[in-house]
Amino acid sequence: MRVLSTVKFTALRMLRSYIVLLLLLVVPIILLTVFSFILSGAVPESGVPYINETSMTQVLVFQLFGGSIVMSLIYNDLFTENKIRMYALPFNQTMYAFSIMMCGALFSTLLGALLMVYSQFVLGVMWQNWLWMIYIISLMAVLSIIVCLIFTFSVKNFKIAERLSEVYGIGFVVLAGLFFPMPENGFFDFLGSYGNPLTLSMGAIRDMGESNIGDAWFQANILLGAIIILFVVMLILGRRKIG
Amino acid sequence: MMIASMQGVVKRYGSQLVLDYIDLDIQEGEIIGLLGPNGAGKTTLIQTLTGITAFERGKVELFGQTENPFSNQNKEKIGLVTQEITVFEELTAKENLQFFAGVYGLKGEEKKKRVAEALEFVGLADKGGKMPTKFSGGMKRRLNIACALTHRPKLLIMDEPTVGIDPQSRNYILEAVKKLRDSGTTILYTTHYMEEVQSIATRVVIMDQGQIIKEGTVNELIQTVQHEEKVKMDVTDPESVPIHSLEKIAGVKKVIVSGSQITVISAVHSGNLDRIISIVKEYAGVLGIQADKPNLEDVFLTLTGKHLRDKGGE
Repeated sequence: MRVLSTVKFTALRMLRSYIVLLLLLVVPIILLTVFSFILSGAVPESGVPYINETSMTQVLVFQLFGGSIVMSLIYNDLFTENKIRMYALPFNQTMYAFSIMMCGALFSTLLGALLMVYSQFVLGVMWQNWLWMIYIISLMAVLSIIVCLIFTFSVKNFKIAERLSEVYGIGFVVLAGLFFPMPENGFFDFLGSYGNPLTLSMGAIRDMGESNIGDAWFQANILLGAIIILFVVMLILGRRKIG
Repeated sequence: MMIASMQGVVKRYGSQLVLDYIDLDIQEGEIIGLLGPNGAGKTTLIQTLTGITAFERGKVELFGQTENPFSNQNKEKIGLVTQEITVFEELTAKENLQFFAGVYGLKGEEKKKRVAEALEFVGLADKGGKMPTKFSGGMKRRLNIACALTHRPKLLIMDEPTVGIDPQSRNYILEAVKKLRDSGTTILYTTHYMEEVQSIATRVVIMDQGQIIKEGTVNELIQTVQHEEKVKMDVTDPESVPIHSLEKIAGVKKVIVSGSQITVISAVHSGNLDRIISIVKEYAGVLGIQADKPNLEDVFLTLTGKHLRDKGGE
């Protein structure tokens, strides 16, 4: 498996994508810090400080944008002039793309985990179930990557794919009602609950924290199901473009 | 030994015929200069030969294999230097080479050694830790070449490796190609700089509009268009030179006087240069002499009616 020898370099490329690090790590750290000052000591009736809920939301919101680095690397290596060199190499290009995906999922999860570490040890946020939180973050990371790749494989112009990925991220934040309340009707209710990866992941974490284990798994499994279905769609679209 | 062969290869992009029944054999140790203007089909030929682009009709043989010529086993024996600079900007020069060395199956000490050798070979030994973004265009080109060398390919394909770089880097690259030739590497070198081909190629293949229109050594190709020789002389007093005396010299076809310049056109290999000069010197002072012989540019012009490069454009 010669593709394995490339993983280290894919990881290095991701770690040196300073714009991505700025947007997916530095910006949320700044936002979390600002919110922690604003919400300092504010505790609702439930007894869980506001900053806990805000931190969870922040960590998950930024996972919606985690797929951008993967789409950018795959596009750069397999769809631009680099394609010629990559296709002349003695390895499987599909597996190479897959390795970038895996790296990207780990990278996004790592960034999410770093935000958790920062918020717990610097801002005092208490994460109740680290493993569950990381599982949900990884589901969000994989989903974002798959969605971004579907966009990359579906449109001819990469700029359009990039814009669509932004619409995916911002769109679900808006539909989750985090910016302003959404109209109350069946359509928006669905996209603000089971039809929205952000609300699903937030619900899964909240329910696990409240020991509603069945509900937590149910919501996580909806995310997993969406990942499986979209993965198949991505494979079908990707096979036409790669390999 | 035959390294690669294309027989009757046809490739179309839509309705446009890009490779028109291409027949090409590459023998071990050869440096083939593939000449042609932009859009001649050079890059498509390379992509077809390396299995990057599928072809419609014909047969490609690589290292004796016709059944599955583009297997990973065969790809390991090929190095491709792309026309565009295709190095990873986020990795250092050394890491770039390690990436490609790893894909070619090199490991451990051997990999370290080959990476160091490749950096040394292209003159970037002291720049291994630097990012390509800090490199000049010429240095990037050299790194681009090094990426195709770590695995010591049997067949090195270089697609216009000197486009858009300074003369110093260009000379460096040409010297490197000569060293590779001396070490026995078979090279397919595409360019539209005829002077590069003249200095390195053992055989020249000329392409135009998807067809191979001529092939042979540089001398063989030149001889096909060499019908006459021209001697141009700048003289102090052209009026005093007896033109009829020049016209009587064996082999001379025509004498033209234009301003201070006398042009004598003779049959090829007539060997009358000394005689022409001595007659002119009797009557006038000779300020300069220029003897024109055809070069590859003339060959190309004769064969296709086009220049290899757009004049004035680089």
